[in-house]
Amino acid sequence: MNSMVKKYIKRRESGIAIAAILIFILFSVITDSFLTAYNLFNISRTLSFYVFIALSQAVVLVVGGMNLSIGGIGALATITTGYLLQNVGVPSSVAVICALGIGIACGALNGFLITKVPLNAFIVTLSTSFIFTGLVYGISKGFSYTDIPKSFSLVGRKAFLGLPIIFWLMLVMLAVVFYIYQYTVTGRRMLATGGNKEAAELSGINTDRMILFSNILSGFFAALTGILYVSRMGSAQPATGTNWMIISFAVAIIGGTSLDGGVITAIGLFFGGVIMVLIKNGLILVEANVYFEQAFLGSIILLAVSLDRIQYFFSHVRKKMNDSKNK
Amino acid sequence: MLELQQIGKSFPGVRALDGINLQFRPGEIHALLGENGAGKSTMIKVVSGIYPEYDGEFFVNGDKMTLKSYQDALDHGISVVNQEIQIIPESSVAENIVMDKLSNFKKKSGRVDWKAINAFAGKYLDMVELDIDPNTPIGPLSAAQKQLIQIAKSLSCDSKILILDEPTSSVTRHEAATLFSIMRKLKDQGVTLIFVSHKLEEIFEVCDLVTVIRDGRWVGTDLVGNLDREKIIEMMIGRKCSNEYLGNLNKIGEDIVLEAKGITKESEIHDASFELHRGEILGFYGLVGAGRTELAKILIGNSRADSGTISVEGKEVEIHSVSEAIYEHGIGYVSENRKEEGLILDFDVEQNIGITIWNELKHRFSRKIDDVAIRKEEQRHVDKLQIKITGLDQMVKNLSGGNQQKVSIAKWLAADCDILIIDEPTVGVDVGAKEYIHQLIWDLAKVQNKSIILISSDLPEMIKLARRILVFKEHEIVGELDDIHTRESLCEDQISRRIGEFLV
Ligand SMILES: Nc1ncnc2c1ncn2[C@@H]1O[C@H](COP(=O)(O)OP(=O)(O)OP(=O)(O)O)[C@@H](O)[C@H]1O
Ligand SMILES: [Mg+2]
Repeated sequence: MNSMVKKYIKRRESGIAIAAILIFILFSVITDSFLTAYNLFNISRTLSFYVFIALSQAVVLVVGGMNLSIGGIGALATITTGYLLQNVGVPSSVAVICALGIGIACGALNGFLITKVPLNAFIVTLSTSFIFTGLVYGISKGFSYTDIPKSFSLVGRKAFLGLPIIFWLMLVMLAVVFYIYQYTVTGRRMLATGGNKEAAELSGINTDRMILFSNILSGFFAALTGILYVSRMGSAQPATGTNWMIISFAVAIIGGTSLDGGVITAIGLFFGGVIMVLIKNGLILVEANVYFEQAFLGSIILLAVSLDRIQYFFSHVRKKMNDSKNK
Repeated sequence: MLELQQIGKSFPGVRALDGINLQFRPGEIHALLGENGAGKSTMIKVVSGIYPEYDGEFFVNGDKMTLKSYQDALDHGISVVNQEIQIIPESSVAENIVMDKLSNFKKKSGRVDWKAINAFAGKYLDMVELDIDPNTPIGPLSAAQKQLIQIAKSLSCDSKILILDEPTSSVTRHEAATLFSIMRKLKDQGVTLIFVSHKLEEIFEVCDLVTVIRDGRWVGTDLVGNLDREKIIEMMIGRKCSNEYLGNLNKIGEDIVLEAKGITKESEIHDASFELHRGEILGFYGLVGAGRTELAKILIGNSRADSGTISVEGKEVEIHSVSEAIYEHGIGYVSENRKEEGLILDFDVEQNIGITIWNELKHRFSRKIDDVAIRKEEQRHVDKLQIKITGLDQMVKNLSGGNQQKVSIAKWLAADCDILIIDEPTVGVDVGAKEYIHQLIWDLAKVQNKSIILISSDLPEMIKLARRILVFKEHEIVGELDDIHTRESLCEDQISRRIGEFLV
């Protein structure tokens, strides 16, 4: 059991967790408004959105792909929900199912183009992101759908046991993802596909199917996030998803998901989200110029990917110092 | 002269080298031998600057070396032909050869002097007797040709110390002979040569001195003349090894488990037909690139033939994917190319072997893979093949070459297919393990009644195992030898001659 635990909570993950906790302590100490119930509630809600966004990216990174169209898919799901609720007046459940269906269809389209044509994931999802976004603005003409029933905002705004419902939903999703990749055949096969496609194929894995499935999963998560935004905002805004791409990569990478594929960790994604949200929130609290936000994000990503190198550098220096002491 | 003093090197969980003292003198070909994972490649990486961190020190002509990188080693006259082929596939043959000295080939105008480069490369290609245009891209060439180009590249460095780490593992005898004559020439010029190989007959052919290491420690150094095969093996594995004749296979039954008729695919294989009986070992022999692997990939559904039919157990089938081949028809394929096609290098041993059995060992409802059962099954194969690992959670990329090969085989033993196509199973595997793998393949056929297609360029291996041999040449089956094990005595030379007749 002990070795199992050790294996699943790898060094990298504990590093991310420690970094997250340190930042948390830092902001608690230097600002008064950080450690308030109101602020923590807000943070946990934003965190949940970040993790959902990152999930939609991480599930395709795992098979060695990428999805630049998650923002487009999310927006499409958002306005589908808004349109159906406001202009058609369907029940909430029907709107949600249709919006999820759209997300799955978009993911399937990406996956189909990538595996069957076949085309490179970068090109495919770059193009479809324009297509999806174009559809969003064509349908909505740039206007938000504001006539959303109050009941629809329940999930996005209410709390359960003192924390947002979305937060609990996010934990459940992470648990499901953990289970899939850690224990199920399909999950392991997706990991293997990302690890070495050729070898996976020759070991009897239908790699095309794995890639298709991952893209569908990505579309599903993107759509789910879009729907939750509607619930959170009480309106469906066409601009939803514009900043998802950078967030998704930042959280996934900080969380230890490999860009080369083959690695995903639910715990890492969670703490990756924590780091992102803390820094964003902290910057506001210390009254930093928020217009620089993107510059900070970029720097954090660079820092995260250099972490391994930096660790190596320090161990190297330490060894050199020991050597010279011994002489 | 290269002198090592108390050289040691540790990796997490392994002491790969420990207190090695050795001298390599000019004008000598010094063999470095040892089991898979003994530490040969590690020692070479230490003296060639690839591992700048190690214990102890080493000297070249009395000067203490502190190399930071391989480039550094080259500057000190040390060059290495690696176990793993390292080339840039998109570049031309010439570019690959001059890669590390491109700056020497600038015209006054600053432009690259292609004429000079091609002439320079051509000179060294002649030396290794490769008759190819330096301008051709290197990617599509055969493994053997790439290996020879690596050797040409090392020669072009004019090094005083040349280290060859298993340069012959994927080349045929003829190509190896060329290499040996070059080695002898260099020896006469006073170059220090270190040679690693698991093919012992090669050691007796070219080497002067033999050093054996085991588990990272020095076991002994002696003149080749004072040693014989048995003695060396005993030094390597610490016990005697029986190289006995495996006996006759069962009388092969009449039932045909796999039949191919007229398999043809543009520029890969032409009109190949054969039958595989139950419990038989059928050999595919031929030079590298003769179309054997291409045919295998068609049989397992990884590539599609233009025409021809395949029947399994008497029924004509269409195999669309490898997963169909494995799970519906029970056909498996052990790839010859473990790095690119056999293994997921960044994953641990557990995931690499388990990949073919996850599906069988899962819970019916929760779909949870039974990791305990999987690990148990895997450990059985690891023990059986004596794979040297620190645990099932060790990364495959950190294993020695031969142990990686064993992992690649273990995966398919676990899969338990009825028909197994095994492509070059013993490349880079040490003598002890090689005997073992042979025994294993034999038992699969004889005891478990599995049907096996063995693809190998190693003739003794072929003769030892196969009952029938199909000879491939230029994408066609040009002949069949079906009386190998019925002869009273197996005479290698005689069979070799008969195969040669097909190949001319
Ligand atoms: N980068 C690494 N990290 C961890 N362990 C390593 C690493 N490289 C080698 N080892 C370990 O060091 C030992 C010696 O490996 P080495 O590659 O030198 O063996 P070798 O004698 O060349 O074997 P082979 O004949 O199979 O090529 C092995 O146990 C191997 O697992
Ligand atoms: Mg080696």
